This record gives sequence, structure tokens and C-alpha cells, in this order.
Amino acid sequence: MFCGLDLGSRSVKLVLLDETGVKESRVFATVDFYRQYGRRTEEGLVVDFAAIGAGGVEKVVATGYGRNTLDLAGVEVIAELKAHTKGAVWQTGLSDFTLLDLGGQDSKVIKVKKGRMVDFATNDKCAASTGRYLENMAAVLGVSLEELSSHSENPVELSATCAIFGESELIGRIIEGHSVPTLSAGVNYTIFKRIKPMLNSLHSEVLVFTGGVALGQGVRKLLAAELNSEVVVPPQPQLNGAIGCAAYAMEKRG
Amino acid sequence: MARIGVTTTVPVEIILAAGHVPVDLNNIFITHPEANRMIDMAEDAGYPRNLCGWIKGLYGVVVGQKDIDTVIAVTQGDCSNTHALMETFTLAGIDTIPFAYPYDRDYDLLKLQMEKLMSSLGTDWEQVMTVKRRLDGLRGKIAELDRMTWQDNVVSGAENHLYQVCCSDFNGDATLFETQLDAFMAEAAKRNEFTEDLRIGYIGVPPIFTDLYDYMESMGARVVFNEVQRQFAMPFGIEDLVEQYRHYTYPYGVFDRIEDIQAEIERRNLDGIIHYVQSFCFRQIEDMIFRQKLDVPVLTVEGDRPGKLDARTRLRLDSFLEMLR
Repeated sequence: MFCGLDLGSRSVKLVLLDETGVKESRVFATVDFYRQYGRRTEEGLVVDFAAIGAGGVEKVVATGYGRNTLDLAGVEVIAELKAHTKGAVWQTGLSDFTLLDLGGQDSKVIKVKKGRMVDFATNDKCAASTGRYLENMAAVLGVSLEELSSHSENPVELSATCAIFGESELIGRIIEGHSVPTLSAGVNYTIFKRIKPMLNSLHSEVLVFTGGVALGQGVRKLLAAELNSEVVVPPQPQLNGAIGCAAYAMEKRG
Repeated sequence: MARIGVTTTVPVEIILAAGHVPVDLNNIFITHPEANRMIDMAEDAGYPRNLCGWIKGLYGVVVGQKDIDTVIAVTQGDCSNTHALMETFTLAGIDTIPFAYPYDRDYDLLKLQMEKLMSSLGTDWEQVMTVKRRLDGLRGKIAELDRMTWQDNVVSGAENHLYQVCCSDFNGDATLFETQLDAFMAEAAKRNEFTEDLRIGYIGVPPIFTDLYDYMESMGARVVFNEVQRQFAMPFGIEDLVEQYRHYTYPYGVFDRIEDIQAEIERRNLDGIIHYVQSFCFRQIEDMIFRQKLDVPVLTVEGDRPGKLDARTRLRLDSFLEMLR
């Protein structure tokens, strides 16, 4: 058994994998994860892998923000974009595609050729096309994240230059009397608009869509309708980075 | 002898020929232990938050430290914000002299700008050319240091950056600078070759991050080409001073910069390019031209205020270096 760990900005994802597939997966809120399983030592923060259920595994590979500040004893750390590339290749069996990952705070677009990352772009200091943005907008609309992320028809026009100012803009549109489905579609459409330039510059015929945002239908449908690409969402899009780490661990076993 | 602040590289030979001390305000700003306070000072005075950190830093250096007698502000060919920076200097009672690089590299216009600067500071061609010949030797040594970086592999990216970037004002004292340079080069010549496996080029303005070079080296990559810093050093060996400043690529169109960068990618055998862009700078637009025209992978790194690399930028650097391997 191999363990992959994705130390994300909003959540920490853990998967246990063997040749037959994902055996177990767990998702922790980032703060809870470090509070429960982290221990401060003189060298830095040490994660108790036995306590999270990864003690008996053959190899643990991790990725994410912890790389430079965490002391992950016995753990190999790989670059985040590499983990996501591995995960998408492993989950889809494809080797030439563009990967779009919309996570808690990050948006990533990675061009993959022959199973390797050849170029990438990421959002910079703005989270207006991510899960956090969707959560904020769902709260403004008073609907669940699932409800918000399901709509794509007749989107209300929103500019969403900022994840926070987007809220007041949305309130302005609510006051104009638009329906929740069209407002929701509008929010989903702002996500498409923000990532479109990155997707254009790294275009492929197949788009693999991962990250928590890929769980909703709205953005997925918009991508399919607006782009000249086939959109593929792997079975567990939100775990893609952790799966990539575990797949890498398995590959490294030799 | 006055202390003459410069907002970027200008014909430093003229300042030295006039008997004054050139002070590159950027270098004062970025090496100041309280660099962020300089920016706060500018914002307190009313500078917008969404404006380049370098411009605000220069304002803070001049208005806050009060030991600069006159500022030569490059109003064309470097940064359009300098135009308004100069106006706020005027408002604060600081003497300013505008200097404009002609966009089309017109020889006569550039010569006229240089002559106007000579008359403002009180010198002439004869004195200026004497200084130029003196500095030519120094510029030649910097060219050798650059060669030791990419060919002998005994000078680090940060050292290469530092010595070249100082050529805008030679730290205010060319003789002392040359002594330090000689000592450094003698020491570096005795080193073993660096062994980083990735050879990276750095393009764009010098970074506002303080640890970019060190971080890259810790990740097994070394910068063996500093584009704009090398341009500041002008290692061209050109006799005519106007031609030398026409040859300097940075203040003119982007396509001549690309030609220079392409040639160095080949010559130095670079694996990839880091393009540094300053937040809120018009040069961010040029990033798309670099990405289209350069035929090695390009990572665009954006910085706003002075300080260490943030976690996201480190993550992007890691992924880029990983991709190149």
C-alpha cells in the first residue's frame, strides 16, 4: 500500500493506493490536520503518520505548501504541479492533455505531453476562480455549494475582478431581481472567464478538469460548451494531487 | 560635489565627469533594512496601493532620507510612472532633471538628451570621454566576471547580479568599486566549479525579492544570465558613447531585448528563463511577447514589496525547475 498526501491551502487530502486502485481516502480541514496530527519539535513541525493511518504503508509521498516548512520524516516531497500531472495521468490513462485544477485557493493549468508537464500557468495572488470564491458567493446567495455549482444556463453578467468585491456585485444583481439559477450560472461563468486566457495559451484537444470545483456540474458544462476541447473529469477530481503522490510512490518502488 | 540620485541607468559618465556622486536610488531602497517603510512613507503621502513598489520606494528614499541633492528622472524608456514621481519630487522641493531615451533609438535625439544633461550638470564632451575611457576598463572586467559566471561556472547568480546591477552608479565610487571587484574576481578564480544541473536565465527588472537567487541555488539551479543587470553593465566595448547608450537594450522596444536574450540563451546554453515582472508594471504586458518569442520554457514570477519569496512563488519555482529536469 502507498500513501499520497496533498497538503492544500484549505484541506489536506490523504489517499491509500495499491495496483488495483484507491483503497481509502480522507479529507481533513488544513488547520484541524495540523492541530490533531502535527507536533512541534526543535526541527519544526512533525506529522504523526501512524495516527493518520499511514503508518504501515510502504512509502509516503507528499506535496503542497508544507514543503519548505514541514519536517516530514521518512516522506518524499514532490513539486505540486508534478503531483497533479501524475494524478491526472494515473486517473485518466491519458498522456496528452491540458489539466485544469481548480482547488481551494489555487487555479492551475498544466500542459501535459507524453505524460510529462511541459508548461503551466497558475493564478497569482487572486482566488477569484476557486472553491473559496464559490463558498463566499454561495453564502451571499443563501444556497449550498452544491446548488450554486450546478447551474450553467443563462448566466447573469458579473465582472468578478475580485473574490471579495464580487460579493457586492452579486448583491447588486440580486436586487435587480434575477433568479438564483441564473445568478449561480453567472458566478460559474466568472470562473470560466478568469481561467480562459490560461486555457487558451495552453490549449489541447482534451481538457482534464480536477480539483474540488470539478465536482460541480456548472463550470464543467461551461467549459464543454465554450471550449473547443473534450472535457474529462476523473472519478475523484478533488483527490487528484494526493492520488498523484501515491501513484508516484508506487512507481518509485521500482 | 553633489549627490545625484538616478531612477535607473542613465549616462553615468556625465555625472562623474561633472564631479558629482551618482546614487542609484533603487540600490539604496532595496538594500535598506527598512525598505518596506519607504513604501509606507509613499503610501502615507498618497501614492496608490496598486502602484509599483519600486516607484514608491524611490519616493521614500529621496523624501525620507533628504541626502540627495538632485534627481535625474528617466521619463521615457524606463517607466512611465517616473513622470509623476518626478512631479511629486518637485512638489516636495527636490531638484529634478528629466532624461528621455528616444523610443526609436534616434541617434541625434539621444545625443541631444546627453548634451542637455551635460549642460545641466556643468561638463562637456571632452571630460565625459575621459571618464568613459576610464570606465571602459571597468566595464571590461565586469564582462569577464559575467563570462566566469556562465563559462567557468565559478561565480554565483546572485554575485553576477550584484556586481552588474551596481554598474548603474558604481556604488558612487568607481575606484573603490574596482578594488572590490578585483579582489572578488581573484578569489572567485580559485573556486571549484559550481555543480547545479539547471542553467537558468533571468530576464526583467532586478527582483524585489531578496532571496530569489539563493532559493534557486538551494533547489539545484543557477542563474547564469542576468539580462537587465548585464545591460546596466554595458559590456559592449563601443567607442562612441551615444552608440553605447543606443546599444543598451532596456529602454527601447521589447524586440531588441528579445534578440539579445535569444543570443544569450544559445551562447550560455540555458534550460529555462525566469521572467520577473513587478506588480502593476506596464511591462507585464510584454510577458506575452516573451512567451511567444522565446523558444525555451518561461516562468513568470511576480513581486510586489521587498522581502523573501512567498510560499506560492516558491511552489511555482519548484514546479518549474522540476519540469525542466
